[in-house]
Amino acid sequence: MSRDSTAGVLERVGAIDLGVWQVPLGLLAVAVLLRPVVSHDLMLGYPQVASSFLIWMIIVASFNLLMGYTGLISFGHAMFMGIGTYSVAIALSSLAVPFLLAAPLGILFSAGVAYLIGRLIAHKGEIYFAMLTLAFAKSAHFVANYNPGGLTGGTTGLADGTTPAWIETSRGFTYVVLGGFRIDWYWAVAAVFVVGLLLLWQLVRSPFGRTLVAVRENEALARSMGVNVRRYKVWAFTFAAAFAALGGVLLEINNQGATLSELSIVTSGNIIIMAVLGGANYFFGPLAGVFVWMFVEEYLTDFHTLVLPLTEVPLLRIELTGVLAYWQFFLGLLFVVAVLVSPREGVLGLAKATVARLSARIRGESE
Amino acid sequence: MSTSSLRTLGLARLSAGGAAVWGAIALLLLVAFAVEPGLFVDQFVGGLVYGMTLVLIALGLSIILGLLGIVNFAHGALFMLGAYFTYQLMALWGLSFWIALVVAPLLVGLVGVAMERLVLQWLYDEPPLAGLLAAFGLALMIQEATRAIWGDTPLSVVTPAVLAQSADLAVTTVARVRLFSVVVAALVILAVYLLIERTDFGLSVRAGVQDREMAGFLGIDMPRRFVLMFFLGAVIAGIGGVLQGTAVGMNPTMGQQYIIITFVVVVVGGIGSLFGSVVAGLLIGEAVFLTPLVLRSLADVTGIGALAVPGIGGLVPYLVMILVLLVRPRGLYGQEGFME
Repeated sequence: MSRDSTAGVLERVGAIDLGVWQVPLGLLAVAVLLRPVVSHDLMLGYPQVASSFLIWMIIVASFNLLMGYTGLISFGHAMFMGIGTYSVAIALSSLAVPFLLAAPLGILFSAGVAYLIGRLIAHKGEIYFAMLTLAFAKSAHFVANYNPGGLTGGTTGLADGTTPAWIETSRGFTYVVLGGFRIDWYWAVAAVFVVGLLLLWQLVRSPFGRTLVAVRENEALARSMGVNVRRYKVWAFTFAAAFAALGGVLLEINNQGATLSELSIVTSGNIIIMAVLGGANYFFGPLAGVFVWMFVEEYLTDFHTLVLPLTEVPLLRIELTGVLAYWQFFLGLLFVVAVLVSPREGVLGLAKATVARLSARIRGESE
Repeated sequence: MSTSSLRTLGLARLSAGGAAVWGAIALLLLVAFAVEPGLFVDQFVGGLVYGMTLVLIALGLSIILGLLGIVNFAHGALFMLGAYFTYQLMALWGLSFWIALVVAPLLVGLVGVAMERLVLQWLYDEPPLAGLLAAFGLALMIQEATRAIWGDTPLSVVTPAVLAQSADLAVTTVARVRLFSVVVAALVILAVYLLIERTDFGLSVRAGVQDREMAGFLGIDMPRRFVLMFFLGAVIAGIGGVLQGTAVGMNPTMGQQYIIITFVVVVVGGIGSLFGSVVAGLLIGEAVFLTPLVLRSLADVTGIGALAVPGIGGLVPYLVMILVLLVRPRGLYGQEGFME
């Protein structure tokens, strides 16, 4: 709180001009730089995964509206993403509804489901709330698996006829074709990413978002100051679901269909891990978490030999294939360490603290 | 704790609505029994074994949650380790089942103590979220280590000769090893009950559950009790793992599968109530196995095929939980206001 107000003072005297523009510029930078960085030879070396990075960033950022800003832990966030994915897939494959109509409807539907569930459970205690979201997520998974009326495709999911006509794929790349123009799918996702996360940022810094922080910090105090805590939690839950569904809708095109794993508890767990790993205290925390998680996953699974110090001068070769197949072990370790150091800071907080300490030392200030 | 819960179980408190619900359930079970008696007993025993396994995991989880306020997500991983240690001892080192039954849980207990000393003890004063997340990471680590050491494929051990035969129950036969599991689990539950309710040690632990700080002021060495109870909880989960591993087999995702259902059990039973965990575990175990059968026989009797929803058994615990928490937020036997 005090840090925010000092920043506000500094802004007013014009000391930090970047202030308000920090987040929009940061989002633009992420969208523009992510693909070149990811596809660089020293990194992953192939650009196709970059769009998945952005989509998961939207989804995990939506989860952080709950965990980071409102202090609600949901074990079923993947459900709302999956509802978006499945809505579009069903609309395209069975109902012949165009994507541009199906996507907003899917998001609305997901938000509606979240609103109803939120009305029912948002006032429950932390653990009870988490367990109830888990139960509802399990139920959604069950329904999709049960395949009512042949709509959801059961265990195999939906793949046939789930891509709109204006999506073209060639050699692993996806393109959006609009009246003669051919835009790379990545840039379409990047546009949605920037607009979507800007909306989320506006939400977070609005009076609504500030009230959510108040609820997180001290629920009893917020209530005694006249905040209808339950209503704010319900709406936070609803908005988070809407943004998750936005990610889910994009994921449908990105993965060309809907699979049951998008509704699974494991996916919900991964979303939690990514948010915590990145740093739930920061708006950009989830983005960092997604980057670390997905990068590590992609990088380590086809990483075989560690050559030290350089490939050109091999002094030491370490065969790592056997060990790195179990990369989640090291991720778990990193996760435990991150929680022990500070549960809400994550890698982004760690990086920020390190940079601050280094710059203080360079400027010769004592710590 | 559980003496008062026993009192609430008394029939005097049963309302008219409650009586109607229980009567309807009894009627449905009778219909199912009349339609397929053999299958009914089969499923009943299956539900009992499953429920007992759930109770064994839930006891440790409930103790740790009540005493330390930590949602130990890694408890399912400890359960899984019990099964894999059995495999290591029996299949790889050639020891007998009876040695594994004693040694494997103790080893699991040591893993539990290591977990508590190295990680979780630093998080007692943090918000509950921190403990949950750290345990989440630990569960991930144990699961991956298990995959790395014992591989991805499901494993099983050879059941000892005494337990390999079947027992005759008139309408059906049941593998002895399953009945053995039920007996061992019942003994463990009884032992835990006696320890918690009838010994000075148990008394001091209960004092810690009520008010950790105050119990510390009164001269009770709480950190030592934390370690001991963590050890105990891990050992109980380990015993569950040994029994499950011997009767059914093991795979690296079993910890994850069981921990979620076990949370459901603890929440339905009421957080902090061991008696509630036992009741809820058996209730949910039976519900998972009997609901599909009841629905199927109901579909047979009424001729409405749509009633027999395939795979409904897996969903039942969650439906039970949603229902219980909406009607009675503290769970069946939980204290009012505890962690609500």
